[in-house]
Amino acid sequence: MELFTPDFGLIFWMFVSFGVLFFILWKWAWPAIMKGVDSRADLIDKGVLYAQNAKEQLDNARQEAEKYLDEARRRQADMLREADKMKTEIIEEAREAARREAKKEMDAAQVAIQQARKEAQQSFCDEVSAFALDIAAKVVRNQLADEKAQTKLVDSLIDEMETSN
Amino acid sequence: MKHLLLIVALAIAALAAPQTVAASASADGHDGKINPKEIIFEHLGDGYGWEVPFCHHERIPLPVIVRAYDGSWRCFSSARVAHGARYDDGGDIFYIARDGDYKGKVVGVKPDGEIYRPWDISITKNVLALFITVLCVILCCMSVARWHKRNGYKAPRGFTGAMELLIEFIYSGVIKPTLKENARRFAPYLLTVFLFIMFMNLLGLMVIFPGGANLTGNIAVTLVLSLLTFFVTNLFATKHYWKEIFWPDVPWWLKFPLPIMPVIEIFGMFTKPAALTVRLFANMMGGHMIVIVLTLLIFIFAEMGAAVLGATTVVSVFFSIFMLMIDVLVSFIQAYVFTMLSTIFISLAQEKGHGEHHDNEHSGDSRPAHAS
Repeated sequence: MELFTPDFGLIFWMFVSFGVLFFILWKWAWPAIMKGVDSRADLIDKGVLYAQNAKEQLDNARQEAEKYLDEARRRQADMLREADKMKTEIIEEAREAARREAKKEMDAAQVAIQQARKEAQQSFCDEVSAFALDIAAKVVRNQLADEKAQTKLVDSLIDEMETSN
Repeated sequence: MKHLLLIVALAIAALAAPQTVAASASADGHDGKINPKEIIFEHLGDGYGWEVPFCHHERIPLPVIVRAYDGSWRCFSSARVAHGARYDDGGDIFYIARDGDYKGKVVGVKPDGEIYRPWDISITKNVLALFITVLCVILCCMSVARWHKRNGYKAPRGFTGAMELLIEFIYSGVIKPTLKENARRFAPYLLTVFLFIMFMNLLGLMVIFPGGANLTGNIAVTLVLSLLTFFVTNLFATKHYWKEIFWPDVPWWLKFPLPIMPVIEIFGMFTKPAALTVRLFANMMGGHMIVIVLTLLIFIFAEMGAAVLGATTVVSVFFSIFMLMIDVLVSFIQAYVFTMLSTIFISLAQEKGHGEHHDNEHSGDSRPAHAS
C-alpha cells in the first residue's frame, strides 16, 4: 500500500518543486499581481468615493441653487408685496389728500354758500320788508281814504286786542 | 454536430477501453482474469514510466536516479529496468522488485547478493507530473503578472482574466478578510498553494499523458503541503499563540499539576496539518478510485455475457463521466478548502491577544491583559 506510506523521492521532489515554484512566483508574479489587484481595488474604491462625492456636491449645488432660487422668489414676492403696499399707501395717501383738499374746498364752498345764503336771506328780508312796507303803505293809503273805513279798522284792532286779552 | 462528435469519441473510447485493460490484465500475467485491486492501485500509484495513451505495453521512459550502496549516484533510463529487466550499471545490478517489501520500487543488489533499497529520487511519473504542474502554474501566473505590469488598471480578458478571477477570488475572498493586515505577508504562500493544488487536481483528471498522475491523491504530496502550512503557521506565530498553547486562559487545575490543556493544545498543533493531509488525500484518491472502479465494473461484468456487458458499459461510462464532472468541481473545492483552512490556521497563530482578560479571574496568575 504505497499510497499510505509517503515515498522519500516524491517528498524530496515535492519540496524542491514547491520551493522553486514558490520562489519564482514570490519573486516575479505575486508582487505585481497583488499590487495590481490591490491598486485596482483602491482605484475602484476611490472612483466610487469620488463619484459619491461628486454626486453629493452636485446635490449640494442643486440644493444651493434651489435655496438661492427660493430666496430670490421670496424676495421677489416681498418686493411685490412691498410695492403693492406702497401702491395702496400712495393711493390711500392721495385719496386722503384729495379728500382733505375736497373737504377744504367744500368747507370753503359751504362757508361761501352760507355767506351767500345769509346775504341772500338778508337781502330777501330787506326786499320783502320793503315790499311789505310798500304794500302796507299802499293798502293804508287806500283804506284811509274814507272815514268809515278808518273807524272800522280802529274798531277791529281794538276788538282784536280785547279778544287777545 | 458537436454532440455527434462527442458521442462518436465516447463510442471509440468505450470500444478501446476494454482492449486496453484486457491487455493490461494479460500483461500482468493473470491469464485474462482481471485483478481489480492491482489495477486500481497501479493507476493510483506511482511508476517509473508513463503510460503511452491507448497502449499499455509502452511507457515513456523516465530517468531513474538512485544512490547506490557505495554512496555514488546512478542515473539511468527506466526503460532499462522495464518489464522486469535487470540493469547492470558497472557491476551494480538494479531492477524493479515484483514483490516483497519494496514491490514496484527500484532495488539494488550488492556484490554479496544482498538486496537493498537505494536512496531513490527518480523522476517518476508523479515527479514529472509535479514538474508539469509547476510549469503550468508558473506560465499561468506569469501571464497575469505580465498583464498587470504592462496594462496597469485595465482588466484582463480571456484566459488571463479567468486566472486573475481565481487569484482575486482567493486573495480578496479568503485571504484578505481572514488575515486582514497580514494578508500581504502570507498571500504569496497561500495563493501558490491554492493554484498548485488546483492544477495538480485538474491535471490528475486528464486521463492521458500530460495528466493522469494521481498527485494530490498521494499522501506524500499532501503531507508536504500540510507540513509547509504547519511550518508557516508556527514559525510566524505570535507570542500570544505560544502562550495560548503552553499557558492558556483556563482554570489553573487544568494546567497544574497535570498539564491537560497544554497537552491538548500541542496535540491540536499536529492534528491540524494531519487533518489537512488526510482530507485532500482521501478526497482526491476517492474520486480517482470511484472512476477506476466504475470502469472496471465493465470488465468484471464482461464475464456474464454480451447483454450484461453492454448494459454495464453504458451505465459505467455514464457514471464515470458524471463522477469526473463532480471531480472537476471537487478539484476546485478541495484546493479552496485547503487554502481556506491554511489561512484560518495561520490567522489563528497571528492573534494578538484580544479579549485576554475574560478569564483572568479564574486563572490566578495569568498576566494582566495588555492593551492592543
